[in-house]
Amino acid sequence: MFCRTQTTRATIARGSALEMEIRRGKFRRSVFLDTLQDSDIQKKIDHEIRMRDGACKLLAACSQRDQALEAAKSLLTCNTRIMAYMSELQRMKEAQVMQRVARRSDGTRSSDAGPMDDRLPCKGKVAISDLRIPLMWKDTEYFKNKGELHRCAVFCLLQVGGEIHDTDMVMVDRTLTDICFDNTIVFSEASPGFELRVELYSCCSEEDYSAGSAPRKLASKLSSSLGRSAGKKLRVAMDPGACSPTSNAGAATLLLPGPAVAGPKYHLLAHTSLSLSHVQDSFRTHDLSISGNEECSYWVPLYGSVCCRLAAQPHCMTQQMMSGCLKVKQLGGDPPSWRNVYGVLKGTNLFCYHRQEDMEANVEPAFTIAINKETRIRASEKDPHSKAQSICISNQYGGEEVTHTLSTDSREETHRWMEAFWQQFCDMSQWKQCCDDLMKIELPSPRKPALVTSKQGSLYHEIVIDTSDDISTVTDILTRRMQELELRSQLGTSPPWMSLFEESPGGPRTPRLARHSPRSPHRLPHSPLSSLRCPWPGLLSSDASLTSDSDSPCSTSPCSRHRGWAEPLSLSSPRFRPRTLSLDAKLSTLRGRGYGGVLQCSCQPPSSSSLAPIPAQCIPQATLSCSSSTSSNSSSEGSHSPSSLDGTPFSRPSSARRSLRNLRAKLDPRNWLQSQV
Amino acid sequence: MVEWEYNNYLMVVKVLNDFLSKLDSQCSCVLQQRIEIRKLRQGEHLILGFSIGGGIDQDPGQNPFSEDKSDKGIYVTRVTPEGPAEVAGLMMGDKVMQVNGWDMTMVTHDQARKRLTKKNEDVVRLLVTRKSLEQAVKHSMM
Repeated sequence: MFCRTQTTRATIARGSALEMEIRRGKFRRSVFLDTLQDSDIQKKIDHEIRMRDGACKLLAACSQRDQALEAAKSLLTCNTRIMAYMSELQRMKEAQVMQRVARRSDGTRSSDAGPMDDRLPCKGKVAISDLRIPLMWKDTEYFKNKGELHRCAVFCLLQVGGEIHDTDMVMVDRTLTDICFDNTIVFSEASPGFELRVELYSCCSEEDYSAGSAPRKLASKLSSSLGRSAGKKLRVAMDPGACSPTSNAGAATLLLPGPAVAGPKYHLLAHTSLSLSHVQDSFRTHDLSISGNEECSYWVPLYGSVCCRLAAQPHCMTQQMMSGCLKVKQLGGDPPSWRNVYGVLKGTNLFCYHRQEDMEANVEPAFTIAINKETRIRASEKDPHSKAQSICISNQYGGEEVTHTLSTDSREETHRWMEAFWQQFCDMSQWKQCCDDLMKIELPSPRKPALVTSKQGSLYHEIVIDTSDDISTVTDILTRRMQELELRSQLGTSPPWMSLFEESPGGPRTPRLARHSPRSPHRLPHSPLSSLRCPWPGLLSSDASLTSDSDSPCSTSPCSRHRGWAEPLSLSSPRFRPRTLSLDAKLSTLRGRGYGGVLQCSCQPPSSSSLAPIPAQCIPQATLSCSSSTSSNSSSEGSHSPSSLDGTPFSRPSSARRSLRNLRAKLDPRNWLQSQV
Repeated sequence: MVEWEYNNYLMVVKVLNDFLSKLDSQCSCVLQQRIEIRKLRQGEHLILGFSIGGGIDQDPGQNPFSEDKSDKGIYVTRVTPEGPAEVAGLMMGDKVMQVNGWDMTMVTHDQARKRLTKKNEDVVRLLVTRKSLEQAVKHSMM
């Protein structure tokens, strides 16, 4: 990076590895050759350190559990990457030292070019996708209806050599039967002897929604105080005298401990190693080595295997390995005639085009000669007619052996072609099954910036709100959050899958909804929140999933929760699942933004108890939940008068409104859901 | 459907019904059928052309197609005319037992929908059970 012939200006972070390297500059450069690779890795380390600092700061600053989990995940990834880069740097330094020592002792110059006898196979792309880890919940766990939902945040770390990627975080609870990671991760430069290490990390996620600021204050205090001590460490380590010349030990002690941050910690739950033998063009199941047991807080009951699709595309299959002009001997006739073609060696074929322009224009080749594992190539003796040696390529087509004879204009050309063929054979023997056919690798689409996703909950989860809680502070916090979301919604566009819920111009897509037969009315416990209560009567149904303890203070119904969160659906990433729970969801709707989504047909008599399916054209009525008019609704079940809309104007386009209405219909457990597929 | 086609269809159904009723008036035939549906591309979406209802998170009492009102399985509630599902032979009222090898008898509604709408699959192979032809006809005429 800092060469004599170049003048560069760069801002260097204080305390960064790079700065230290510069400080040791003269000393270092006298010992080692400043290779490009070195500075490359230094840059990467620097970048990761900055990312790590950012993650630490975020962890200290954030209050929401999900944000903290995401930040902790980034922190872990950054740390792992730093470790990997450091060890790579170490290895490189050691190799350089060895080389230098060897050079000195030999007196000969060991050149960069490796010996020609050892052919190195080409590198390739390795992609892992559709990771799925089955879980094995106990029956009792699965059907447990009350009590806390034990949830863990999990993600995978995938490593090939120095490249480390992480998947997205997935919240796991007993409603999940498999942990699915939708990401496709591509490692671009992998050798055939690669080892893909898959590590599953998990972290327990508690259920408490403490809106109190005490833990937050404490966390920030801790992090700031640690920051100072970490800074002290930095200054100590930066003293050049403390560094040893032959290794980056100084840098290592600086970086590895890192600032210890209070926050969620991920633990290694399981791991496995995949290699070339596991590569296949379809899904395969591999075993997982599980560390940890039931006693750990981060335990998730794994079935013990992981399914994934591991594909590899060696470069010899995707890139042109060799191209040039060739002469192909035409069979028959004496003296033999030669035909000029432009040959391109790619994958398992030698494509012969009439002219070079044809290849660029993507015209079909004149003919194709297979170059695969069964092909035999040899250089024949000098033909008396031609100047150079010719190359004979023999293939077995059916029972017959077909031989093509190629020749070039000069000996060097022939030699180059032979080299290319040998290289191809070497690659094919190393990459084995990957060279039979080109495996498809789907490139991951550019990811949308991950908005903070809300917590995903089960439909039957509940929040208990203590009547003695100071609700106003909660609502204040939540209003602020709502405003945030509102801002974001104005920026975001509706994801493509929203159209699924929109009414198509074609055939009727409105789901038919059967009117739920009225169940016995439920009494709503009185509480200060009753004015904010869900105005949909009877939605606190006697489903076993809700707590049967009727004395508990008011619990929110699932629907109203979903109402509120249905709005941010239009702005979140496509993987956002429309089932969430929170108090703010309810409150946000009741603050006049929302509108009721209770679906019923006004044409249906309220006292009907049959399950006659409603004709498809029935348009669901929207009833608004007015905070004032709940008391009248709380007792009656059957009748619903569409109440007047609240005064606040809607900022949403009507198609989103309809889709949201449909979504609410979906989420109302009293409706028997129907989905169009 | 075109008028004459529909009449033909009804006639075939009647013949079959008669045949079935002759077999055993008591028996309620349960046909298990393997149906292969090739998804149709409509713009960005791959559609199958039918609607499902049911699931372990749904109220089974509201399922108009199930015999046993505690059956929480996935049922076909509507088949789009001329859609891929209809072409493949799926009928309203069929209970979906498996989709591409995945079990559908003990899944939530959302899981079922997801298993049918995987973007990387062009073909879904369903294993369905059908109560009897007669009942299926009755439902389709409703």
